[in-house]
Order: sequence, then structure tokens, then C-alpha cells
Amino acid sequence: MKTDDLIAALAADTHPGPTVGQRLSRALPGAMILAAVAFALFWGVRPDIAAAMTSPAALKPLVPLALSGLAGALALTLSRPEARGGGPAIALWVLAALLAAAFGAALAGGGLSGLVGALANPSLVTCLTSIPALALPLLAAALWGLSAGAPRRPALAGALGGLAAGSLAAALYALFCDQDAALFVLPAYATAILIVALAGSLLGARTLAW
Amino acid sequence: MRAANSGDAAAYRQLLQAITPVLRGVVRARGRALGPEGCEDVLQEVLLAIHLKRQTWREDAPLRPWLYAIARHKTADAFRARGHRIDLPIEDFTDALPAAEGPDPMQASDIEKVLARLEPRAADIVRGFGMRGETVAETAQRLQMTEVTVRVALHRALKAIARLRERMIE
Repeated sequence: MKTDDLIAALAADTHPGPTVGQRLSRALPGAMILAAVAFALFWGVRPDIAAAMTSPAALKPLVPLALSGLAGALALTLSRPEARGGGPAIALWVLAALLAAAFGAALAGGGLSGLVGALANPSLVTCLTSIPALALPLLAAALWGLSAGAPRRPALAGALGGLAAGSLAAALYALFCDQDAALFVLPAYATAILIVALAGSLLGARTLAW
Repeated sequence: MRAANSGDAAAYRQLLQAITPVLRGVVRARGRALGPEGCEDVLQEVLLAIHLKRQTWREDAPLRPWLYAIARHKTADAFRARGHRIDLPIEDFTDALPAAEGPDPMQASDIEKVLARLEPRAADIVRGFGMRGETVAETAQRLQMTEVTVRVALHRALKAIARLRERMIE
């Protein structure tokens, strides 16, 4: 088949493919409802939620929410082949640096024994399994949406999709979790979110390639 | 491209014809080792990617960086996939070989192999549009399908071609 013939066949196909935005707006609401329903059924909101949300523990859902927004925006940007990270990428690095600094400060205060003490807690296992479980529908929706795009680096786009899904799930899980110590929350939530990001990266390398 | 994305087939065809020589130049400059026929295969892959990913171009963005990004990505991809298969540059043999009538360099061979693997009706639809210049209405009449199903079948066939190419080359 000659190239000119191929062009004729391509031009005849006027069926427009969906955009990443269209797919996400179709899949994300359902995935969010699924995660919220699962959360209500199997986890539920902590009883002292009103008191917690007026204390520094209110950051537990809010920071992951911001992280999710930034990672999502960056994934959306990088789903175009010619795009560069720009603003969202810098903001994401700044946020990551701030979180690392907060962890450093907490570690300096509590010491290594404080960290071990905070993590020697049955809540750790719950956290590390709950966040990825809640993130599952969100990750699926994110990857399906992003697969309509053309990212130059599919694994990176998948990782960002996983970061967004994991952070959103962490924000949800934070409404249940009654562990408010920084030495627990920062490393445990970060690990759980990074597990989802790693899964997104591995899956993205296959599903987002084009 | 704006007209193309809103469904103007004639404008889209013109655009594809206009960018093809430029893209051919890009592919040939990077892929001397593949020979003219191999380059044409890669060029067709680039065109298919542009077609299937055309909705990732934002209407307010300049078209050229987007086109080049896709061309670079697919060219790099194709060379990586073909990395183990090195074609000797024919120029080295021109003194020794009689100047034989070579195949038409515009003719690409990979896509024929792919079409052969495609479901017969899908391949027939693609050939109908491409080589016989049929319209949707003519194809619909010939195959006794509705125009909508012809459109959907063509779209699916082109997606399947892109997928099959990738798998066959790897």
C-alpha cells in the first residue's frame, strides 16, 4: 500500500477519538463514587472527626488533596506529546520538598526511636493496604483516561496518574485514620501513595505506550 | 488541522499530504540505515500515530512542535524495535550491482503484511478507501453496511493496524 493510499484511508476516517479530558470526566466520577461507597461500607469516618478537622490533623486530608490535584494536572499536561512539565512540575517538587522537610523536622524532634515507636503500630498495616485498595478504581480510571493521550514518557505519565490516584485515596482514608502523629502519618502515607505511583508507572509503561 | 478535527475530510487529506514530504525528510535523515523502503514503513507508522492521536493537539497550540514530537517519538520507537535488524546501505554496492529497477520507494511493505493479518473485511475497507478512492457511501453500498458502521469499521481497522504493526515488528 502506498503512502498516498494510506493518507486517503486516514482522511476518510473522520471518527474523532476521545480526548483525555473527555474520558476522565466520564470515568472519574464513577470511580470516586465507588471509592467513597467502599470507604463508607468498610472504613467509615472517625468518630472525633469534628474535633480533628479543627486541629493540625486537618492537614491529613488537605495535603494529599493538593498533591493529587498537582499530580493530576501534571499528568494531564504530559499526556500531550510536545508538552513540558512547567509550573505544575515545579509546584510538585516544592510540595515534595516541603513534606520531606516536615518529616526531617519531626524526626529531629522525636529521634529514630520515636519513629520506630510510631510505626510499631497495627495501624501501619491498615494504612499500607487501605490506601492502595481505595486507590484501585481511581487508578484504573486515570490510566484509562490517560491512554487517550500521547505521553512522551508513558511510565512517567502512569506514575503521575498513580500519584494522583494514591493521594486522593489517602485524603479519603485520612477521614478514617485516627493516628495523628507526624512521625506516623508522613512515612506511612507517603509509602502507601508511592506504592500506588509505582503500580501506575509499571502499568503505564505498557498501557500508555503508543 | 482544526478543520480536520471537526470532521473536514478534504482539509485533513490536504494537511496530511502537505506534511508527508517534511516528515519523510525527518525519517530519512534519522534512518539512513533502514533504506528507502524501511523509511517509508516508519513514515507510515508516524502518519498512523498522528491520525490516531490527533485529538491530543490543542487547538490553541502551534501545530509544528506537536507534529515533530510525534514524529520523533515514533521514529525513535521504530528504530529501537528494529535495532537488531541492520540493513546494509545499498550505496556500498552500487558499483558492483547492475542498476536494477528498484521497488517504488513510496511503496511500503510492512503495511501489506499487516493488512494480510487483518480481518478480511476490515482490510478490504481500508484498501477500498486507500487504493480505490471509495467514499463512505460507496463502501456502504458495496458491503451492504450502513454508513455509520462503515465509519466505525474503518476507525477500528486503522487502530488495529497500528496495534498489529507494533506487535509484528517486535
